[in-house]
Amino acid sequence: MKALSELRRILLEASVLVACGVLIGLSLHHERVLDAFAGRLLPQPAAPATTAVERFPLPVLLDEARDLLAAGALPVDARTPETFAAGHLPGAVSVPLAEAEAAIDRLLQSTPRALPLVVYCGGYGCTDSFDLALLLIERGYRDVRVFEGGFPAWRAAGLAVAGGEL
Amino acid sequence: MTGWHPPLFHLCRLLLAAVFLYAGWSKSVDLDAFAGQIAAYQVLPYAGNYLVAATLPTVELLAGLLLLFNLRIRPALVVIGGLLLVFMAALVSLLWRGLEIDCGCFAPGTGEPVSAWLALWRDVGLCVLVVLCWWLRSRLVRSGTGPASG
Repeated sequence: MKALSELRRILLEASVLVACGVLIGLSLHHERVLDAFAGRLLPQPAAPATTAVERFPLPVLLDEARDLLAAGALPVDARTPETFAAGHLPGAVSVPLAEAEAAIDRLLQSTPRALPLVVYCGGYGCTDSFDLALLLIERGYRDVRVFEGGFPAWRAAGLAVAGGEL
Repeated sequence: MTGWHPPLFHLCRLLLAAVFLYAGWSKSVDLDAFAGQIAAYQVLPYAGNYLVAATLPTVELLAGLLLLFNLRIRPALVVIGGLLLVFMAALVSLLWRGLEIDCGCFAPGTGEPVSAWLALWRDVGLCVLVVLCWWLRSRLVRSGTGPASG
């Protein structure tokens, strides 16, 4: 009986020790913990999770662009509204580089940042798609690719286009 | 009987105290970094990681202080042993799931990441120290030369 009561005393004191540690820890850090419970802190990345895709738009070739779009990526047209109206990739949204800020505002309302984007413009000679891709990443889109061949390469491959007269 | 027991007991006690004081202190320096390390285990919900990050270091520090000052040795050993068992369960779950992360045992973000296997064996060694410390203490108390309390 003596051993049992001694064991109970040890366990009780151990519990008190843990309780004291928890209370002191909570009183020191209660603001951070409450923030965490309210979801007000940014999640901690387990490791530096910024891969090349997240920070820098990766160029993709026609085949990759087609596969990405078939898998649900959103085509983003960086050209002017006029050229967009004359013909664009099926399902593409128009985000003209000249009015990118407002257009990205609209895009953010309909398109989650996690959705992969494939940005294109008028082919290898134009850099609008790359510049727009950088802006999209800046605004929080996490997977942004640049289809460098752009609309001309798409059309030349005989793939379906939308809008306008051919 | 008492020749080598007291020095060995104090050696075990001070070793455990040093390990847990260092562990508690190094983890309490940067709450967010430690919460991130716990999050990397992918066991607790988001806020739970912060709850553990806020409270675990102080429990480790208190237990380490008791061992350092030779007070309430057995309750402190129970707490440390319990913590080690929880740590080992977490490490085994890492190995089981094939997650390759830093064990988060000590100071976050310093030095090389420590693999789960190394941390597991280290914890086994610490468990041996805990048991040894407990046993030596009971020998000392029986022979009348040990600590008065705990």
